[in-house]
Amino acid sequence: MHIIKLHRSLLKIKNAIPRYSTITALEESEYTETPEYPPILDMTREGKLLRRRQSFQSKIQELNTIEEKQIALNMPRYYGWQCIMLNNDKVPYNAMPLVQYYTRSHFIPVAKLPEAYNEIEQQASNILQEIKPQIEDAIAIELTDVERNFKFLQDKSIKMQQEDTITKCVVRQINRIIMNNLSDNLPHILSTQIDYDARHEAFWHIGGVDPPTTTVKWRKENKWPKSTHYESTDRPVQYIGSPILTLRNRHPLKPLIPYSEAENPAFKVDKFTTIPGSVGYFREFRHGTNIPGFWPGDIDEFGLLSYHGRGHILDRKTSFGEQDNIEALHCQAMKASFGWLLAQANYQGFTTFNDLTYPLVTQTVITNGKLWSLYAYQLNTIVMHNDTVDSNPKHNICFGTKPLQLYETIENGKVLGLNEDVLIMLLQFYMNAPVERDHAMKPYLGKDEKVIADIEDDNRRCWLEERYKYLVSNRPKHSLIPEVYLWEKIYKIQHNTRFFEAKRRPFERGINPFNRRLDDHISPYIPKVLREYPRSKKKFEATYYPEV
Amino acid sequence: MRLTQALKRQHIDFMFKKHWLVQGKRIPIDTGVEKKLKDMGIEVQDALEFVKEKREEREHIQIIGPYEQPLPLDKNHPNYKAKPCLTLNQDNVLLEGLSQAQVLTKTIIAQDKLPPKIEELSRLPAPAAIHENVKKAILTANVFDCEQKKLPKIKDPQRPAYNFRRILGITDSRRNQILTNKLLQLVEKTSDREVTQNKYVVNDVECTTIFEKEDDLLQFQDVSNILVTSAKPVQHEVEKDIPFVEIPSLYPVKHTITMPHNHFYNNTSQYPFKQKVQVKHPHTTWLHFNRTEVKNIYGEPVTQNQILGRSLTHAFNVASSYAKQMHGEDVKDLPEPIFVNCIQTDGQLYHFGVLQLNTLNVDGNEGIKNVWYCKNNMKLYDSSRYFSGMPVLENYNNKVYGYINAFYNS
Repeated sequence: MHIIKLHRSLLKIKNAIPRYSTITALEESEYTETPEYPPILDMTREGKLLRRRQSFQSKIQELNTIEEKQIALNMPRYYGWQCIMLNNDKVPYNAMPLVQYYTRSHFIPVAKLPEAYNEIEQQASNILQEIKPQIEDAIAIELTDVERNFKFLQDKSIKMQQEDTITKCVVRQINRIIMNNLSDNLPHILSTQIDYDARHEAFWHIGGVDPPTTTVKWRKENKWPKSTHYESTDRPVQYIGSPILTLRNRHPLKPLIPYSEAENPAFKVDKFTTIPGSVGYFREFRHGTNIPGFWPGDIDEFGLLSYHGRGHILDRKTSFGEQDNIEALHCQAMKASFGWLLAQANYQGFTTFNDLTYPLVTQTVITNGKLWSLYAYQLNTIVMHNDTVDSNPKHNICFGTKPLQLYETIENGKVLGLNEDVLIMLLQFYMNAPVERDHAMKPYLGKDEKVIADIEDDNRRCWLEERYKYLVSNRPKHSLIPEVYLWEKIYKIQHNTRFFEAKRRPFERGINPFNRRLDDHISPYIPKVLREYPRSKKKFEATYYPEV
Repeated sequence: MRLTQALKRQHIDFMFKKHWLVQGKRIPIDTGVEKKLKDMGIEVQDALEFVKEKREEREHIQIIGPYEQPLPLDKNHPNYKAKPCLTLNQDNVLLEGLSQAQVLTKTIIAQDKLPPKIEELSRLPAPAAIHENVKKAILTANVFDCEQKKLPKIKDPQRPAYNFRRILGITDSRRNQILTNKLLQLVEKTSDREVTQNKYVVNDVECTTIFEKEDDLLQFQDVSNILVTSAKPVQHEVEKDIPFVEIPSLYPVKHTITMPHNHFYNNTSQYPFKQKVQVKHPHTTWLHFNRTEVKNIYGEPVTQNQILGRSLTHAFNVASSYAKQMHGEDVKDLPEPIFVNCIQTDGQLYHFGVLQLNTLNVDGNEGIKNVWYCKNNMKLYDSSRYFSGMPVLENYNNKVYGYINAFYNS
């Protein structure tokens, strides 16, 4: 025993003293012709904080799997982020500047689809002549000749639900007719998957927005330098939507405009720094989630087309005016397109901190069966957090039409005044074939491990799978979120009436309970009988949180 | 915030409230003034008579809420009838399953036999690309869909009080909806354009049929999750000399057992399409079996035989409501038989059936009978789920797709 120990220590000493020859070798390589200085680090407070953020961002980029990246995005907050909620079916008054800035989208109003669609226009109008009577019949049957017993929820307006359910029926019929007729001629139609009522969620950070008053107060109390009191912070944003119908394929759509055009200064979007609450978008505690309608691992991971209802327009006040209603549709389209594409980009390994290396495209239709607005969206950039919001030259582009009327009336079971232009544009969306790209699609994902299912270690795979699904379900926590009770605010904070009590609450001890990482908890205890044989001192189960 | 926590901490409000209560119930002390005044001949009146406001009878106002309130289910309801109707809806099953359904619909069964044309079409091989897409559909429905809703509680019969963690996942109604729609879409995409043009597909439409059997008024009311209709009524050439399963005797059970009484019903049957529509003829009806929704009347788990009975009653419902729309409410023996294809599934098991409706006169066991050709319990796959963190699809059976395709193209 002693001999072994001695031998070990001798070895250590041997390694500690380098031999003569190695020293000379080092000395030779130490000198270079031009002096090499270590990088000069900015040692100011801002510089240090920036380096800390950058290291967090680069660590996320280096993670192998999609799910680990999603967990990593949520690592800084145990109780979830206080997200600005952009719901798909709620657009407050005059929301367009906010939505454009938050999604970094330049909006181009058009009467016809962009140039990229011109090639297939003639073909589309030929096909339309074949399917036109079918579509006319389907609309008439759905709206007048089928009896349905709809059941409505009590918590939403009935008008809105009625319109959305009828829209759902019409959209399914039109989609069915177009898909069935195109499947013979176009090979991509057969492999395209159709989803009903998919779950779309997207999460990102937006910078350059004024800090909330509570943050400013906190900064003043904690003696931050005066110049930093009103500095903008990253604001987490969460989009949640549920399209009526979506199409997706294993290959992405072709870009609408060349990728280099994304940096065109003409597409610059105006800043909107006012707090989002002033427009009507409020905050909610939740974990950030990126879900494009399927879990990681599905092959068909690029969206082609999504249909959305416009029942929420009926719920808006009449005083908002016609123009604002049209803008609300544009907002809905931008939110839906950006949200879906961002979630898809996340499944390709990009996050709100690691920018896209190629553009992604989707097509969006907002309709109530009679009025149709069509949008084509190109996603060029997804990085818009506080450090890059001003320096990032790229912008996203959205082409969109006004609401167009598909038909005038239905009389005696016949559709009158069908507007063919709308259907031609819709057909062009379906005929726009996805193509395989010749560049790397997933540069930031691992070579062999792209999703959790690829991980070899059984324990790690199962743990990560369960943790990921638990995180994105956003189910309520087992313990309540910390709060300052009202009585405490009155009797402890505003009036110091209980000075004799022991100071145990977080606000009395100067602790911010929300400043807690996701992995800041004790993992499940292993009872002694279940511990490894013969003797294991490991009391708690292992966790496999990504190291960021 | 929990109320008790706060009450324990700070009692000022609590105490004040109690004090107010005590002070509010003070009893006036007799000072002897009243007696003295009476002696002096001054009339004393009770002060409360002047202070207390007299209660006015107010009219009851019916406030209009944000939603129309449903009418109360009493004798003034427009649908109220004195004679009860025995109703079978989609959440209920028949106690005796298939044999009770046979008695109710007066049907004989050709077990494991489908019309020869369907058998022939089902044997046509489908290209590998289609089977790949079917597998994709199964995986999407069971594994890759992102619904996270509460699944039914897990119970261990050995220790029934133990609470397991509630699992979130894809509910059975959503799973069936995705899978059946995707399968049908696939069939339609690969079929000829002429075939699809003459068909029409609707989701979640309700059929109701009401009929009399041996002095009882019966009603079937259920939702067809997918109803494929066609421009021409579906026709099948059928074999005559098959060993049919005759209508059994249910004695001592009555054939209306577990069909609850209902006093609120319409007198007419209802078929979802209006009569003028060209593509109204029912072709294939898809019925989902969602274990969380379908229950026995007293909550016992549903048996395999009861599931098979459901197929027959559903097909009868669709066919007879259509027949009544075509030939009038009082039609008995039909001039031409009506055929309806029916596919029932819980996602994994598929029950195929073809109903030949000959008569709507379901009294007794004699005379013209309806015929039910069926092929049951075909498994599409053994299991499809996340197994130890990996998506799994085990033992895909490619024959089922052949039958679904054959039903659509028949």
